[in-house]
Amino acid sequence: MKSYWSRRVLGAAAVLLLVIAANFFLFRIMPGDVVSTIIDPRFSPEAKERMREVFGLDLPMGRQFVIYVRRMLTFDFGISFLSQRPVWDELKSRVPNTVALLGSALILSSALGTWLGVKAARKRGGFTEKVVLLSGSISFSFPSFFVQLVLLLLFAYTFPVFPLRGSVSIPLPETGLARTLDYLWHLLLPAGSLVLLGFGSWAIYVRNLMVKTLGEDFILMARAKGLPESRILWNHAFRSALPPVLTLFLLALPGIVSGAVLTETVFSLHGVGKYLLDSILGHDYPAAGAAFYILGLLTIVSNLAADAAYALADPRIRVGRRVSS
Amino acid sequence: MIPRRFFPLILFLGLILQSVTGCAAFDVSAIKGPHIKDLYMVIYRDPDSQMLALQKGELDVLGDITRPSDVDRLGSSPEVALSISRGFHLFFMAFNLRKEPWNDRALRQAAAMAVPSRQIVRDIFSGYSEPVDTYLPPVSPYHEPDVEIHEHDPDGARTLLAEAGWKWTPDGILIPPGDEEPLKPVKLLTPTAQVAPTTAEISNRIADALKGIGIPLSAEPLDFSTMISRLDHHDFDLFVMAWSLSRDPDSLFAFFHSSMDVVGGYNIQGLHDPQLDEVLEALRWAPDEKTAHKAAREAQRMLSEISPWIPIYSRYMVAAVRKEWDGVVSTRSTSADNLWTLLNMKPSQGGERPVMWCLSEEPRSLNPLSTSSAYDWQVLGLIYDGLLAVDPETLGDIPWLATGWEVETVGDGGGSHTRLTFRLREGVRWHDGFAFTSRDVRKTLEFLKKHEIPRYYDSVRDIERVETPDDHTVIVTMGNVSFWHLHNIGGSPVFPAHILESVKDWETWQPARETHPSEKGSTALVGTGPFIFREYRPGEFVHLVRNEDFWLLGGD
Repeated sequence: MKSYWSRRVLGAAAVLLLVIAANFFLFRIMPGDVVSTIIDPRFSPEAKERMREVFGLDLPMGRQFVIYVRRMLTFDFGISFLSQRPVWDELKSRVPNTVALLGSALILSSALGTWLGVKAARKRGGFTEKVVLLSGSISFSFPSFFVQLVLLLLFAYTFPVFPLRGSVSIPLPETGLARTLDYLWHLLLPAGSLVLLGFGSWAIYVRNLMVKTLGEDFILMARAKGLPESRILWNHAFRSALPPVLTLFLLALPGIVSGAVLTETVFSLHGVGKYLLDSILGHDYPAAGAAFYILGLLTIVSNLAADAAYALADPRIRVGRRVSS
Repeated sequence: MIPRRFFPLILFLGLILQSVTGCAAFDVSAIKGPHIKDLYMVIYRDPDSQMLALQKGELDVLGDITRPSDVDRLGSSPEVALSISRGFHLFFMAFNLRKEPWNDRALRQAAAMAVPSRQIVRDIFSGYSEPVDTYLPPVSPYHEPDVEIHEHDPDGARTLLAEAGWKWTPDGILIPPGDEEPLKPVKLLTPTAQVAPTTAEISNRIADALKGIGIPLSAEPLDFSTMISRLDHHDFDLFVMAWSLSRDPDSLFAFFHSSMDVVGGYNIQGLHDPQLDEVLEALRWAPDEKTAHKAAREAQRMLSEISPWIPIYSRYMVAAVRKEWDGVVSTRSTSADNLWTLLNMKPSQGGERPVMWCLSEEPRSLNPLSTSSAYDWQVLGLIYDGLLAVDPETLGDIPWLATGWEVETVGDGGGSHTRLTFRLREGVRWHDGFAFTSRDVRKTLEFLKKHEIPRYYDSVRDIERVETPDDHTVIVTMGNVSFWHLHNIGGSPVFPAHILESVKDWETWQPARETHPSEKGSTALVGTGPFIFREYRPGEFVHLVRNEDFWLLGGD
């Protein structure tokens, strides 16, 4: 067991190093750099060269790489080319909004989808299954920007129950409690839209898993033993179907930091997604490198966590343990 | 109710009327503001939510409206007043003159005759842009309408080519003079339809038109960075692009002087014409405005003959303000989302209330030394002042922090210099209460030059010395002669000397976050402008309040 985890951790470290190297070279393979995207006749070629010096882009590639690796390993991500602010500060101001939005959406959509999936699988061909399959298919096949704009039009304009934008009211509410409630009120429509768009894939996935599991022999045995249906459903069938669901959930976790560009744009939210996109399009190497590094790190940690959770969720799985007969 | 299809026509006629009668002329000297106490610059990124917010009353001012459907929609809204102005924008197609066959002037002129610019602009923009024939947009005070215009005439284009010795294959492909081989297929570089849908559509229409006279052309959509990289390295045949220009015509030097044909330079098409170079040098180093006008006109006439580009259109600038505000300033060359509107607007009914102004992107750093983001400058432009301002009607210089100025050429021949003398306004105070003096101007110019700050590099690099004979006079001597030094120096923002002294690293300076060196509770974002910085909440808004000591409020 110990050697299994040592191998996994070492493997993860190797992947992380590959991510670091790929982040450096992939961005620099892209044509142009942050300065070449400035096309302004009031900005002479000499001024552009001066800007390259300021950003350290005139240094030899090897030197740039050494500086970059040192920064990644010490979590000092340097200064963003575009905003001239420390990349850490930029990320810190965005991550809480993104995690609150996407974290709540992930938890709610996975919980709702899982519950509906189990319900749908319980009675094949029944009304519930038909509704879940139909609503699930509609949910994940509609384009997000369309659904979100329609929701915005309906619930922030025609029937103005929710705000049109952002995460705070203007002017700001006076007290701390009022500000918290105000923040939740602003979060409700974007998070709700993501739940609406996200629950369907969970529901259909869990329903398919459960249908398969409910056809297994051990379920027949449980029924033959006269166990209550709800116990069979949740304690036996769902427990057995849980590991892949858990893995899917854990692998979706890094996504709550990577942001949702369209949602952030439609609801004018200050999040990581738009920042990441602007950094890539704007050749902001420090910002894009740091963001992808953190995402890579989270993905690797989530993978390790998924392995651990797999073993915890399913007692039959004990990787590396010798089975004595 | 007026049918929507007439809105473009009505707006255009309004614009023409403004131009002809000057009925919208606004006397800026009558403005004594700002009258509003609170200004929130609210970040709305999505154009659809901007429209909803404006119609719902959560936004008061929305600028840079580009979609014709939005203009139509707002035009029929009873709560919103639209303003339209000509923009400093120019969209064109260019040839790579370094390569055959594009170095053939007859081919370029024939191509210009083959492209139905007016029809394309009418079809795609529904009347919200104007076709152009010249190398400066019509709004420019230096625009020269009297140039050789290549009217749409495909038959004339074929005749011109035949007279120049061009032939056609039986399939209709052009064969260059003295050659047997027809032209090989060529590409027109264009941004992708996802990034710039109208540009991609225009490129396809241009390609079709040029195919009609025998140029085997097709559009090649590219990611913008890839396209710029290809242009930088001169790896192209034809490309389309738009420039956002300023009121000064010295951009013509950057675009067409042979010295600008370098990697990363703006003479992308590689034009080398010694006669034109002479005229462009006369423009760049013009000692006075009259000489500059003459050179700009001549340069435009020569360019129309040389035809390195096919100018296509210039975009109108459309802005909307809710009708519950009075005092909105819009002219034929400045749409309503401008400083003058903020200085002059007041609620038409009821008491004081904050103005909600749309920022369609996040400000990046609010560092006036390093940022080149237009969204940062929408905020910073209200906090910092320059020595001169631009009249929204005439686009001429008007007094601002300087009440008067002189432009002189001193010295002889090769040793000539431009000397700028500014007389500064008395009684002006920085937002932190310190007095504004000539020392601030001198320290600003010295700081910008010493640190070679890219944004100001071209403006200050020719400064030879700055003298301050008294608290309200500044004399700037440049190392050469050019009338444009007045706009470069006079248009740069002035920073407080006492704040600049505390700046340790201009690149990473965060004045909106750093505490003031001596005033508790204030930030280092201190200017002399009409509004004082109060708060920036990333992703949400920038809050500014009226500068109660603003010199214009004193009635000067």
